[in-house]
Amino acid sequence: MNGVDAEHGDGHVPAVSVPSFPRIELRFGHPGRGYQPGEWVTVEYCIEGLRGERPRALERSALWYTEGKGEEDLGVHFFERFCTLETIDRVVPEGTFAFQLPTSPLSYEGVIVKIRWCIRLRVFFESGRDHVSEHVFTVGRVPPSVLP
Amino acid sequence: MRFPRFFTKKRGHRRTDSHAWGSFAEGLFYALLVAAGVVFGLLLVTGAVTYAPADPDSVVLQRGYEWWMWLLTLLIPVALLAFGGSGLVRVVRTWGKSQEHRAAASRTVILDGLAGPAPAVPGHPGVPSCDNLENSPGIVLRYRLPLESPENWTLVGLGLFALLWNAVVVVLAVGVGADLVGGTTDWFLIGLLVPFVAVGVGGVVLFVRATVLSTSVGPTHVEISDHPLVPGMSYDVRLGQGGAHLFRSIDLGLELEETATFRQGTDTRTQRLVVRRVPVSRWQRVQPVPGGSFEARVAVTIPTDAMHSFSSENNAVQWRIVVRALPDRWPEFTRVFPVVVVPVKAVATTASPEAVESLE
Repeated sequence: MNGVDAEHGDGHVPAVSVPSFPRIELRFGHPGRGYQPGEWVTVEYCIEGLRGERPRALERSALWYTEGKGEEDLGVHFFERFCTLETIDRVVPEGTFAFQLPTSPLSYEGVIVKIRWCIRLRVFFESGRDHVSEHVFTVGRVPPSVLP
Repeated sequence: MRFPRFFTKKRGHRRTDSHAWGSFAEGLFYALLVAAGVVFGLLLVTGAVTYAPADPDSVVLQRGYEWWMWLLTLLIPVALLAFGGSGLVRVVRTWGKSQEHRAAASRTVILDGLAGPAPAVPGHPGVPSCDNLENSPGIVLRYRLPLESPENWTLVGLGLFALLWNAVVVVLAVGVGADLVGGTTDWFLIGLLVPFVAVGVGGVVLFVRATVLSTSVGPTHVEISDHPLVPGMSYDVRLGQGGAHLFRSIDLGLELEETATFRQGTDTRTQRLVVRRVPVSRWQRVQPVPGGSFEARVAVTIPTDAMHSFSSENNAVQWRIVVRALPDRWPEFTRVFPVVVVPVKAVATTASPEAVESLE
């Protein structure tokens, strides 16, 4: 697992530093988290440390975003939101989902432009705060760019 | 319900400020615009001033505005209401929604976008459209690629500058001439005219020099056998270089350029960086046929590990065919022909939704 947990809405705080925040374990179908365009991605996840606090909603998404010198662009490829009591119970504290990758964009490690793919799980609590967990994976096998 | 914190932490290079406060401030701004529009409009309609300034003792019961005057007067409050109202609706619609939720609603969301949306190749999200590259047939090969030359824009810029500057010079000169004919001498105006004339002449000289440079070396044509391009595939490319002079060298190659648009203070800047060069062919001591042009046909292979073309609002990765030529008596010039590289066809699937259902 290579994920980043953060509290959102009123700030990003590493989950490990504040024990009351949940911890989201996520496992990809491919051990190396490397996929090819058009391939199916299967994901299993487990949300720990809820301590009895009931989530109000859960969002599962797969998206790409740009990093680097330019302003950040973002495109969502897969998005699901569960916000009723019945559906929440089906996807919390653990669940599985799958989606098929598009043909593009591929993951890219450029010099001033980078493209990253990730899975985001976002838990909304009754208290109003939300907690997001981001897990990066790669699409395609484009070697990193270096200045000629 | 917990009150959102005003200051938040940074995580790497990602922006992590409080969205709640940001949305609140944005909503407040648009609400103020709406309120200003309402107040301004009511004041204009009901009439805050009900006396004639020229005759303060008389009360004005009816004002004689024409219909077009009403329209003109209401233009500002209506604009405030429209701008503020639409902004307020947008803030309300996105309130409490996550970044992904908003992006999913519009398929692609741009965070503080600085440029317009980029059309994509159907079936290839993020790959720029190649309609503009395929609308011109070639003489020998299938497509003639359009030229994207920065030299042309420099030429246009210099021409506009020379034209506008010298228009100002003419106005000043007419003023000075009229004074002289009338028997008066305005030395301040004459002193001002001298540097203006110098800059105007300099602008014309630069424009003429750039025009001569761009026309004397002759046009460059590039045709290609197919488009868009796919990594690992080879394509025929035909180069045509006009001109009556000897070229010491002509180079043709592929380049991969990254483009990033970002804000720096209140400015919007764009940085371009060539991150990969693939030399294709080089010709030395080239003498075009008199009255004709130098013609060459080469095979261009897109590297198998090439990144595909990518374009979003603020970031781009672009492939282009670049021709660099060094004429015998003129400075080196570069001519750029953009191309679009699409990703290799998708692989077969390794899992299916049914398999996932069984896991649940």
